[in-house]
Amino acid sequence: MTVGGGAGGAPSAIDAKKLRIYGIGGALVGIYLAAILNSVLGTDIFSILAAAGAVAAAVMGANAVRRVCGYGIGTGVPSIGMLALGMGIVGASFGLSTAEQLGVSMAGVIIALVYAMVFGYIVGAIANKVMGFNIPIMEEGLTDLSGAGAMAIIGWSYAISGSLAYADMVSKVFNTGYLAIVFICGGLAILHPFNANLGPDEKQDRTLVNGLMVGSLAVVAVGLCSLATLSTTAAIITIVIGAAAWYYFYVWYYRLVKRDAAAVVGTGLLPPSAL
Amino acid sequence: MDALSMGLVAAMGALATVAGASEDIESDVGSQSNPNSQVQLAAQVGNPHRIYNKAISGEPPANALWATTAAVVAYTLITKFAMPALFAIAIGASVAALFNGVFSTSAYFGRNASQRRFNQWIYLDIVRYTTTSIMAHAWITAFCITCIAYIQTQILTPHHPFPMPVIALIWGLTVGAIGSSVGDIHYGGEREFQWRLFGQGLNTMLSGQIVRKAEAGLRNSIDNAWFCTKLGGPLTGLGFGLTVFLDNWRTTVFDPVTQAGLAIGMGLFFVILMNLYNFYVETSIRKKYGPYPGYKGDIAA
Repeated sequence: MTVGGGAGGAPSAIDAKKLRIYGIGGALVGIYLAAILNSVLGTDIFSILAAAGAVAAAVMGANAVRRVCGYGIGTGVPSIGMLALGMGIVGASFGLSTAEQLGVSMAGVIIALVYAMVFGYIVGAIANKVMGFNIPIMEEGLTDLSGAGAMAIIGWSYAISGSLAYADMVSKVFNTGYLAIVFICGGLAILHPFNANLGPDEKQDRTLVNGLMVGSLAVVAVGLCSLATLSTTAAIITIVIGAAAWYYFYVWYYRLVKRDAAAVVGTGLLPPSAL
Repeated sequence: MDALSMGLVAAMGALATVAGASEDIESDVGSQSNPNSQVQLAAQVGNPHRIYNKAISGEPPANALWATTAAVVAYTLITKFAMPALFAIAIGASVAALFNGVFSTSAYFGRNASQRRFNQWIYLDIVRYTTTSIMAHAWITAFCITCIAYIQTQILTPHHPFPMPVIALIWGLTVGAIGSSVGDIHYGGEREFQWRLFGQGLNTMLSGQIVRKAEAGLRNSIDNAWFCTKLGGPLTGLGFGLTVFLDNWRTTVFDPVTQAGLAIGMGLFFVILMNLYNFYVETSIRKKYGPYPGYKGDIAA
């Protein structure tokens, strides 16, 4: 059953197409800029850019969750977030390892994105046609989610490994187990925004700012992991920028909560109408 | 099998028992998981309340996040900075508790702000004193589970081949799943519907008609934690403790490589035994207390 009475068609101020461009564009620019700057300058301090790109992808994913789940999927919000990261991790692994096999590790991100989106579309089609969800934007939503998941995995994994090479990903992210935090933090960054704001008076800007806030928290988490794999300077930069961004977005989110809530009171009894 | 391994398995069982109990109470203080849908519905059917609405996700992913966060921080501190394990795990659990605080407060703010039309207010005093209680319980859960993961991967022989954060992720998912299925019934089925006879089931008509007033004043989530500490928490602890203990016991007593058949057979034996015991408990309760007043016979679906 639906818990919150969904957002019913999910009215939105920012168009999904625009958010898709920001999300995918931001992720690709962030990851490639980090990879190019790091390799050209022979450093790893630009890894934060990839993590920031992953936040953009996660926000796009959060918007896709909002659109799909706006059709009355309440208790399914956490599941769809996990599904996004599950599809994303398949896409990311496929893309990076294929690129390594072909000898063009820089192309891995693009291959992963394309593969993940096609994969997401197929899963969406199966969900709609075979399982009978009958949600008009299911295919589109899962395409977005799968792409967002793949970009989130690659971006945050890059912030830990400091390299796009599949071998480095395996040794620094998979074998150390840091993939676990990328997976679960990434999943929460995609599912938490809509889940936390579920209800008839949900607003898109509040949900997306929540996404930015949780995404920044994930940046702090991968920053903590990169203490073990990258230089201390790079790790500290990631942690400090992530924490500053988290604080900024949390304050912003609280401002929007005060704007939207019926009342924010220090203490008190129930509203007079309910006593 | 040696004495040290058996001692470690016993310690893991004890840690798991504590983790299970704190996990369930943590979710109950915040009304997470199954009981959350009733807390969410309450305002929508005209019953605004002063109960915490911690809609983070289902308990399994949420607890996986706390446990994994604690584990990655501890793992980093142990491997990179050679910090003593106990300190490292305590610091990791503290980071996990801070993460928990962020998720909890943002869910409380967000869910209640999205119920503007039902006049559900946001009470800051509730945020102040309930969130800290939630974070404290999350700290205990994360600490215990990371200790289990550390024992499995670093001390217990043979070492588990998976890395520590992944083990923590799996145990986090498990403790969440067990808390969700064992402990939540005590809160969602009984505490929220105290005025109904327990076991009658919940009629759709009663959705959202939760108890909002306490013995004195308005009920809050700390009252619910007090109630759930009596049965829900300990039972969840027992469930999770047994899962961890029995599962590791059979692979410690029987070598998983040379005596794999015996280890698997023992696992099957436990499953069958527990099913029989469950069947016995259910039938004896039905005999003792049922049929419930108001039971009109099974209705064809």
